[in-house]
Amino acid sequence: MASHNVIAESKDVALVEVLDRVLDKGVVISGDLVISVAEVDLVYVGLKALISSVETMERLRGGPFVGPMQEPT
Amino acid sequence: MNQAVKTDSPGAFLEEMEKTRGTLPKRIVANPQNVEKGLAKLVLTLIELIRKLMEKQAMRRIENGSLTEAEIERVGETLMKLENKMRELKQIFGLEDEELNLNLGPLGNLL
Amino acid sequence: MAIYIYGVIDSNGRPDDPMIGLEGALVCNLPYRDLGVVTSDLDARIPHITKEHVLGHERVVERLMVNFTVLPFRFPTIFDKKEDVLAMMNDHYDDFRDNLGRLRGKAEFGIKVIWPGDKIRTRMAPGENSAPMPAPASPARSFLKKKFEEHQIEKKIEDEADKHIALVDGFFNKFAAEKKLEKLKTENLLLNALYLVEKEKQGDFRQAFEQLRSSPGELKYLFSGPWPPYNFIKMIRP
Repeated sequence: MASHNVIAESKDVALVEVLDRVLDKGVVISGDLVISVAEVDLVYVGLKALISSVETMERLRGGPFVGPMQEPT
Repeated sequence: MNQAVKTDSPGAFLEEMEKTRGTLPKRIVANPQNVEKGLAKLVLTLIELIRKLMEKQAMRRIENGSLTEAEIERVGETLMKLENKMRELKQIFGLEDEELNLNLGPLGNLL
Repeated sequence: MAIYIYGVIDSNGRPDDPMIGLEGALVCNLPYRDLGVVTSDLDARIPHITKEHVLGHERVVERLMVNFTVLPFRFPTIFDKKEDVLAMMNDHYDDFRDNLGRLRGKAEFGIKVIWPGDKIRTRMAPGENSAPMPAPASPARSFLKKKFEEHQIEKKIEDEADKHIALVDGFFNKFAAEKKLEKLKTENLLLNALYLVEKEKQGDFRQAFEQLRSSPGELKYLFSGPWPPYNFIKMIRP
């Protein structure tokens, strides 16, 4: 049981590291030509909520998340 | 992803990182109720900034012993009243300490 | 229909392997002078923040990193039409070129350190005041005295933090071209450090972490990387 948690938590930490960079860092372009993110309510909820809502989505779809994002190994 | 993420304590780091991200919405929908709260937040944040700067200044002066007796009394009185007033205002507007902050982008947080 | 931006690269050619990006769209490299801006078409105007989209973005950026220097864009950066994207490239060309030059051959690594902040705080007893205060005789006085004691504790904690941070940084500093150290983001998150490391030094950098990790003490460590240089982009023009 404990080891399962560590695995799950490790995946979450990796995801948080990605989110931290992709959502907050990198090149930020402002100006008239950029479609403003503020036009829509991009409410960023706490990470735990994000992670668990994604898991709910995956469960509803019926399995580990599949889609065009998966590369053949 | 081809990163390594190596740690013996993923849970501990997850907890701390969750704290740093915060749970405040990036955009506050402007309706009458929370426009008021939004303004209160802004004003109180600025007052907090001033209050903290005043406190810091007082600390420095105590450290180098440059406060007279009368000044110690006056400064202590002022800071005490200010702190109490802020506590009152925070309660009235239902604001927590963590909410009184401004993110200055690359400069980090104001407080 | 809108245009989603992944980043800018130091190439104006077509990517060798086809890549799939957000919403299953094909990723293209839109040339601008000697650079390229990597894009894909987007059905929805604004993508939601989902794991799928975020990881999709990251996956593209990392694939690019294999063959090019990449300046990753923040999620989400979207334009209405191609002309707007090219106008943006025109506005920021110099900035992009400078950054690409500076970041070529380097990747970002993150080191985080947790210390027992609450225990450290308890350990710090209020010390003798450098400026002696007479016995408090009024509420104002005792308020100030209490504030001063708290202030002293904070200073001690900061000094202790600085010591530990210098120690940790000592393991990595010599392998890094640039670094960013963030101290005490939370009470327990002693350090959030970012290092920009050249390819040739990355092996040594990883070794350094193993050394740090096996050193005695009550600190907890986290290593992550290599990342695209999200934290080391310096834009002069916003």
